[in-house]
Amino acid sequence: MAGQAGNSVAPAGEALLRATNLTRHFRLGGMFSKRMLHAVDDFDLAIKEREIVALVGESGSGKSTVARLLARVYSPTRGEIYFRDRALKSLRSRKDMLWYRGEVAMVFQDPYSAFNPVFRVSHGVMRNLVLHRPELDRHQRREEAKRVFESVGLSAEMLKKFPHEMSGGERQRVGFAQALAVRPKLILADEPVSMLDVSIRAGVLNMMANLREQEGVSILYITHDIASARYVADRVVVMYAGHLVETGATEDVLQEPKHPYTQLLLSAVADPREKLASIAADSGEPPKVIDPSEGCRFRWRCPYAIEKCAEVTPRPEPLGSRLVACHVAIADPERVTNSAGWTSMTKS
Amino acid sequence: MAEPLLEVSDLMVDYLADRATVRAVNHVSFSVQPGEFLGIVGESGCGKSTLLFAVAQLLSPPGEISGGKVTFRGNDMVRLSADALRHMRWRDYSVVMQSAMNSLNPMKSIGAQFKDTLQAHGKSSAQEIRARSAEVLSLVGIDAAHLQSYPHQLSGGMRQRAMIAMALLFTPQLVIMDEPTSALDVVAQQSLMSKVKDLQQRLGFAVVFVTHDMSVVSRYSDRVMVMYAGQVAEAAGTDAIFERPLHPYSRGLMDSFPSIRGPRRSLSGIPGSPPNLARPPSGCRFHPRCPEVMATCPTTEPELYNVRGARVRCLLYAEEADHAG
Repeated sequence: MAGQAGNSVAPAGEALLRATNLTRHFRLGGMFSKRMLHAVDDFDLAIKEREIVALVGESGSGKSTVARLLARVYSPTRGEIYFRDRALKSLRSRKDMLWYRGEVAMVFQDPYSAFNPVFRVSHGVMRNLVLHRPELDRHQRREEAKRVFESVGLSAEMLKKFPHEMSGGERQRVGFAQALAVRPKLILADEPVSMLDVSIRAGVLNMMANLREQEGVSILYITHDIASARYVADRVVVMYAGHLVETGATEDVLQEPKHPYTQLLLSAVADPREKLASIAADSGEPPKVIDPSEGCRFRWRCPYAIEKCAEVTPRPEPLGSRLVACHVAIADPERVTNSAGWTSMTKS
Repeated sequence: MAEPLLEVSDLMVDYLADRATVRAVNHVSFSVQPGEFLGIVGESGCGKSTLLFAVAQLLSPPGEISGGKVTFRGNDMVRLSADALRHMRWRDYSVVMQSAMNSLNPMKSIGAQFKDTLQAHGKSSAQEIRARSAEVLSLVGIDAAHLQSYPHQLSGGMRQRAMIAMALLFTPQLVIMDEPTSALDVVAQQSLMSKVKDLQQRLGFAVVFVTHDMSVVSRYSDRVMVMYAGQVAEAAGTDAIFERPLHPYSRGLMDSFPSIRGPRRSLSGIPGSPPNLARPPSGCRFHPRCPEVMATCPTTEPELYNVRGARVRCLLYAEEADHAG
């Protein structure tokens, strides 16, 4: 599928991390069960150096599975992941794995359960330093721990604290400090702000943008909140039920979404700074994709669905500067216009 | 104006700890008219959930109401006996909890849990129970077949809606909601909110809705009350507070979520974290985080001033309130 990579997916060599046809199925039920849950199907992704890419979708869209595949928590059913053009499949030795984990670090969603409550928050940072940077001596490790804490906006004194002595926002910063300690090139951040108060979120998002500037890391920012994706990301990748549905430069996609699902996500953003006459009355949810047949997985919720949608699975195809996986949008880009479909549905 | 459905005056809630007493709710007053939608907004730890628990008489030790009145339909709830309250719960008012997803019993089907509630309030005919359960479930847009389902068979959004259905079993006059949407993603959140609003308008109950995300209530509430450190920081009509927030804290909350359209601008959020209520800051409780702090703020405690149709606790408006008063 390299041919259809188009403008939005970086060619080999330029990308820091690249995934092609990434697929992960889970067996449901017992060992002999034949029912398969398709969490991710034929998913392509590329992240360049110093780039923030947002992966957006609802619960159950497969976005966390993608993060876990990239972090090697799961291995893919099919497809390949390359980091600096090395296939992850070929990394087998402990040394290779240590190298990969030193390059790609992860930050988790729930800052209230991601830390061991009996250790001070310096524990995780120190451990990462011992494991991944054996060249540092005790003193240097302490200095480095202070440095990473300061780069995420925490004071060095905070290192002595226990997790329960910190607020959620501070704990999430510790998560980033822990990730930074290994000097990664890429941070996989799985919903890092969704458990935080809204007033604290902006600070963490700003910190992520700073890390890119100062530490030169790339970030895969996984979220269900497309407005926050707009705030930090250069590029967005929208996922629905395991499929990539739309991807492109953030402003292109968000100002003029072409996939009906992207439009639904946008219409769900409540912004008191603007008055909307009506909002999407959609109450559907992503389907559980168990042994799917051909066809677009969004068609049951889609106001534009045509017959072809039930027969042929749409693949991401270039439309202007972006990729869209929608038969209707590709055939007639003007038909799928900004949230018009959702508004008319509300009225009916 | 008609008699308010719920009137909270000068309510105070203390948590008794070993060394100190933490006053989580400090002289809070507000009222809710029949059929009104009130949004209560504030950060974690500002006392908003404690306030709801106090209103619903669900506080358990070490929390206790140390002063003030909660008048609901003419009854002072603080003085009512446990038995009297038991008769009112579900029937006259109901509460949808924050973790409604987890407050369903995992061992019982949805229908059995509805049945428990209905039976506790004297509905005993099996046919009536089945009909009413199916009716409320379809109100929230869930197929009645799910009465047989167990909570784990439903998605997060559906469980949340099932909880709301349960709260509506007796069509109470007041439904209290404690962050029912915060565990949901954006699309589910909006569809739940529009469902709640639709039901509220159709059935005419009043809603007290607590959230940390101001944008959630912006489209649905009639009035908004912003809480900070156990006190009311600002209370006004929804349009007024979103168009002209008076308190610097309200402005900070407004400036915390990114916009989806228009130019990308940088967000400041609100620096720092909410104060420890065991040792609240002197003077105005918001002064250590306030971008507009003045010399008098650390020493003078602001009152709740009535200005421009709003109530606001900020010294910036002290003079204006004097002139008006």
